[in-house]
Amino acid sequence: MVDNEEIVPKVWYNIIPDLPKPLSPPRDPPSSDFSRIELLREIMPKEVLRQQFTVERFVKIPDELKEKYEILGRPTPLMRAKGLEKYLNTPAKIYFKYEGATPTGSHKINTALAQSYFSLEEGITHVVTETGAGQWGTAVAFSSSLFNIESSIFMVKVSYNQKPMRKTIMKLYGAHVYPSPSDLTEVGKKTIKENPDHPGSLGIAMSEAIEFALKNKFKYLVGSVLDVAILHQSIIGLEAINQLNLIGESPDILIGCVGGGSNFGGFAFPFIGNKIGEEFIAVGSKEIPKFSKGEYKYDFADTAGLLPLIKMITLGNNYVPPPIYSGGLRYHGVAPSLSMLIREGIVKWKEYSEKEIYEAAKIFAKTQGIVPAPESAHAIKAVIEKSLELKKNNEKKTIVFNLSGHGLLDLTNYESMMERWS
Amino acid sequence: MSYRCLVCYMTLGYPNDEEFIEFINKSQKEGCDIYEIGIPTKYAKYDGPIIRRSYKKVFDEKIDFIDLLKKLPNIKKLIALTYLEDQINDFDSFLNIIRDKFNGVLLPDLLIDYLDYLDYYHKKINEFGLKNVIFTTPTFPDKLISKVSEMSGEFLYYGLRPTTGIELPISPDALVSRVRGIVNNKLIVGFGLSLNDIKNVLKAGADGIAIGSAFIQRIETNGIDYAIDLVRELRGILDEFK
Repeated sequence: MVDNEEIVPKVWYNIIPDLPKPLSPPRDPPSSDFSRIELLREIMPKEVLRQQFTVERFVKIPDELKEKYEILGRPTPLMRAKGLEKYLNTPAKIYFKYEGATPTGSHKINTALAQSYFSLEEGITHVVTETGAGQWGTAVAFSSSLFNIESSIFMVKVSYNQKPMRKTIMKLYGAHVYPSPSDLTEVGKKTIKENPDHPGSLGIAMSEAIEFALKNKFKYLVGSVLDVAILHQSIIGLEAINQLNLIGESPDILIGCVGGGSNFGGFAFPFIGNKIGEEFIAVGSKEIPKFSKGEYKYDFADTAGLLPLIKMITLGNNYVPPPIYSGGLRYHGVAPSLSMLIREGIVKWKEYSEKEIYEAAKIFAKTQGIVPAPESAHAIKAVIEKSLELKKNNEKKTIVFNLSGHGLLDLTNYESMMERWS
Repeated sequence: MSYRCLVCYMTLGYPNDEEFIEFINKSQKEGCDIYEIGIPTKYAKYDGPIIRRSYKKVFDEKIDFIDLLKKLPNIKKLIALTYLEDQINDFDSFLNIIRDKFNGVLLPDLLIDYLDYLDYYHKKINEFGLKNVIFTTPTFPDKLISKVSEMSGEFLYYGLRPTTGIELPISPDALVSRVRGIVNNKLIVGFGLSLNDIKNVLKAGADGIAIGSAFIQRIETNGIDYAIDLVRELRGILDEFK
């Protein structure tokens, strides 16, 4: 039996010192009469902010936190998708890192746990955040309950209605869950006034969470996009590298889906930084076409513009995404570090429609038994496409992808997709 | 241990013509080694609220910047700090205006927004007999920091925080340690430094510090002499590390 110590890393990895170009700093818009960067001091836990701005290649994972990671089941399994390989009759080997094996069912717990731990260290008693599909909210609800901290979660309204079970789990963990837009904040009230049927967006929920945290002197936890979230998520890729080493495998193609970029970055950046692999594919939704239609420019991370401008691939902070079922992919932007790697051609991208990913999810469920989260099914679709391409060229390459979450709490959505696409 | 350098930033014409010159003269006597003179801009994209206020004030005062540049005392090490974005349409004219009084230019956005043109602007600045003082931050890749550290004239500027004048929680010593081994030049550290930070960065190997917002804040509240007190205090700290 392999000792977990050989797999779970002692440090997180930060790709910034290894990027090909400088990362543009966050900034205020020209007309600004206050500093949004200064505002971060008020809303984020001090240590989280310190890690965001102390750019070091490796950051030690505190021992206590490492123990908690192991309690949660880290390392998560690295599995070979032999069922899928057989179904596709491909010469490619397909492996997946299964982040759905964590108690909250997705990778989100990796940074939620770290941020909650640092919050507790600072004596914070109440944290606030937003959630799209509910995976991040569930992770924050659980991690804060683990550290005996109260949590308030603003959940994008369309997901709040589509995913009642997510809401139930968050409440079971003890979180306060509010549909966003809500009447608890000025941003929410303004949005509802303009459009009473607004489905909500991650950008609006983010603005509400920040406003709520500011008003009540709570702290805000960040689920993706910012470097610090990707730093904590690097545990995925670092573990995967160790697991692949142990079985003597060297991957050629790395694939992951992209919402804000933390799952893809956490998985792929350690490979990119260590120069392992030759092709990196970030997968998004065709309905939220940020790769194909987004611009690389300074934009607000949230709808209300409370956070600083960051340079990223974006559809615009006022973009209202259509209510697709992969709630986690509805964010308007892409993390700055990942945006740059895409712009520089180091990371390639793909976009698939809901129908395409539904078919991919079905194949994966039938051949591997795991119902993937609809977000992760985007990665699966890319894996299938790539495997078939390798088959056509008779290339024996190794694909590794991040199965960022399971879809057992998305069954209502799958039911609906089944009716629409079968 | 070696001599540690004090780089003083001041916005051109702040708080007014006379007091600006007074600050330069007095601070020089108190131990400021190099001056960074901020050329006022409408959009100080990488500056914090304090320096932004100083730009607004000098614009409100309707100061004749060209005239003031002529009045600058003769100082050996004077660096003009300006955003390339502001000068890009007539960069030659800008360099021509400053070449007599200044010995270098610092363009905070050169590597961030114009990296592909680094060699062109570096050459251009040198052609006017000026040094290109290069600005870097911890979000720059190590390879680039290492490369430009050798190109940079006078020293390499390393801005620890994402903006000036805001004390965001960071570990200054860790940030300096990360680059000290790869910087083959004098390393001057700035952006939101507290007195504690200063000691830490000097211990970690910085060759000096750059201070700006703190002087402006002191002038805003209690006038020039209060800022000069700080120059004296900083000189004292730096000299402890001689």
